[in-house]
Amino acid sequence: MLRIPIAERPGWQKRAQEFGFEFHTMYGEKYWDESAYYQFSLEQIERDIESPTEEIHQMCLGVVDKVINDDVLMRRFCLPEAQWDFIRQSWLNGDPSLYSRLDFAYSGKGHAKLYENNADTPTSIYETGFWQWLWLQDNVDAGVLLPHSDQFNILQEKLVNRFKDIRYLTPDRVLHFACCKGTPEDRGTVQYLEDCANEAGLSTEFVYIEDIGRDAKGNFTDTKDQIIRFMFKLYPWEFMFQEEFSAQLGHNNIRWIEPPWKSILSNKALLPMLWKMFPDHPNLLPAFFEDELHLASGIDSLVKKPIFSREGSNISFIGDEKGVEASSGPYGEEGFIYQATHMLPKFGDSYTLIGSWLVDDQAAGISIREDRNPITQDMSRFLPHIIV
Amino acid sequence: MKRSKSINLDSMRKVKSASPLMRPLTLAIASVTLAACGSSEEEVQVVSSIEDCKVSTTLTQAQCEVAYQQALQEAERTGPKYSSQAACEAEFGYDQCNRSSQGSFFTPFMAGFLVSNLLDSGRSNRYNPVYRYPKSGSSDRIMTADGRVIGNAGQRSYKVDKSNLQSKPTVTRTVSRGGFGSVASAKSSWGGGKKSSWGG
Repeated sequence: MLRIPIAERPGWQKRAQEFGFEFHTMYGEKYWDESAYYQFSLEQIERDIESPTEEIHQMCLGVVDKVINDDVLMRRFCLPEAQWDFIRQSWLNGDPSLYSRLDFAYSGKGHAKLYENNADTPTSIYETGFWQWLWLQDNVDAGVLLPHSDQFNILQEKLVNRFKDIRYLTPDRVLHFACCKGTPEDRGTVQYLEDCANEAGLSTEFVYIEDIGRDAKGNFTDTKDQIIRFMFKLYPWEFMFQEEFSAQLGHNNIRWIEPPWKSILSNKALLPMLWKMFPDHPNLLPAFFEDELHLASGIDSLVKKPIFSREGSNISFIGDEKGVEASSGPYGEEGFIYQATHMLPKFGDSYTLIGSWLVDDQAAGISIREDRNPITQDMSRFLPHIIV
Repeated sequence: MKRSKSINLDSMRKVKSASPLMRPLTLAIASVTLAACGSSEEEVQVVSSIEDCKVSTTLTQAQCEVAYQQALQEAERTGPKYSSQAACEAEFGYDQCNRSSQGSFFTPFMAGFLVSNLLDSGRSNRYNPVYRYPKSGSSDRIMTADGRVIGNAGQRSYKVDKSNLQSKPTVTRTVSRGGFGSVASAKSSWGGGKKSSWGG
């Protein structure tokens, strides 16, 4: 695994405009960064990332199956009791999942270590599935990269095929896509997934989360008063569970993507649970619930993570790495978990995180994020990669 | 190969190429052929009655009767709904609306329904209703139940997106909005007003 500088494609910003990639630069800072790329060997990809990704996903499904049948654990995961039936029913029905992203610390040597599972609302999928694919294609076409350069990125192909499966399981319904207002990044992500769904032959509509309505019977509606029967939402389940319309969840006939059972995996309580069920697994870091910290007595440094948090908010270090500045944010009221510190590898001045994508239960590609700080956040730069 | 074998760049393009005429002719022809191949459009006819359906399409009398009944049911379920006769007529014209069989709504009369010109069975096409939407100073437009205009009235055939041949969502009356999004809005004061993603 190497970080290799490369010339930017001349006029790539224009190409971004052509393909509707509008958030490559945000708030005056570079988000998409093609001044360098990462190079992997096929063995590093297949042995160290692809196969652990699929294995961990299966372990995570084991956690869901255990938690869903246990009221004490459902409470530990801070899931509101009023939604338990809704969550359980979606698991018992086998409601299909579209995608997830596992975040790993990996340096090219040794075992990739799982940081967390973005199982409910993973973003940066357009940059991964399409834009870095195009970057490689352009550089090969221009003779800058060798023709046999490859990339671990079957994401778009698998997304389209998965939408076809889900379409077959959900016949004759229009798929509504939704995200919040005022975030171009989320709107772009949702547009990309809508394009993939259309490619798979699904009819689609779009509605902002804030504009969703309800009729007298409790059906959810879009701004054209059409009843929603099938919805992709880029909005966390744990937010929806607390909101006014949550009383209708489970009482109106909707197929959700991601399904409600994903709220167990996008939850940081997953990490101590995995460690309990699969202790000493080479891809896991020791992790503990707050009231079980005595079990962590032999560990010098811990990372404190909120049960619910997004985009690296509210993370702090305890012990040897205390010097690292904590990240701020609006999360943490539901409590915290603790994970053994395992710093991200450094390439030059940058800390590097690997996102490993799953479509349903299959590993589908990777994305790479870089930051000057050891905590990766939503403004961390996105860099492409190749396999040679 | 560990990546997607091919991606249709034309379908991913959000801004259409500025001057397609500048491209070499052979390339232009090739791309037209390709576009037709993976096209999401389909040619349809608008028929106004069972009789019209029998005469102008390849469907049989029996098939046309089934199609007409299905279009009526779809109109009931998915068509525009108004709370008064006057509100409906303001959009669709005098004497163009009646009370729906459900009682509480007023809906415009169905002007006809869509029949695909493609002879491929095995697909579960719907026979969706269309409406005449008057436009002052020119011919009426033909509109689907969800308000998409497919062309002017009186054409022999129309090019429509395939989604118009699939089932449309049921239309209802919304009694309240804004029941989702409050947690994001409460948390969004973080980051100095910078609106960041709610994903991760």
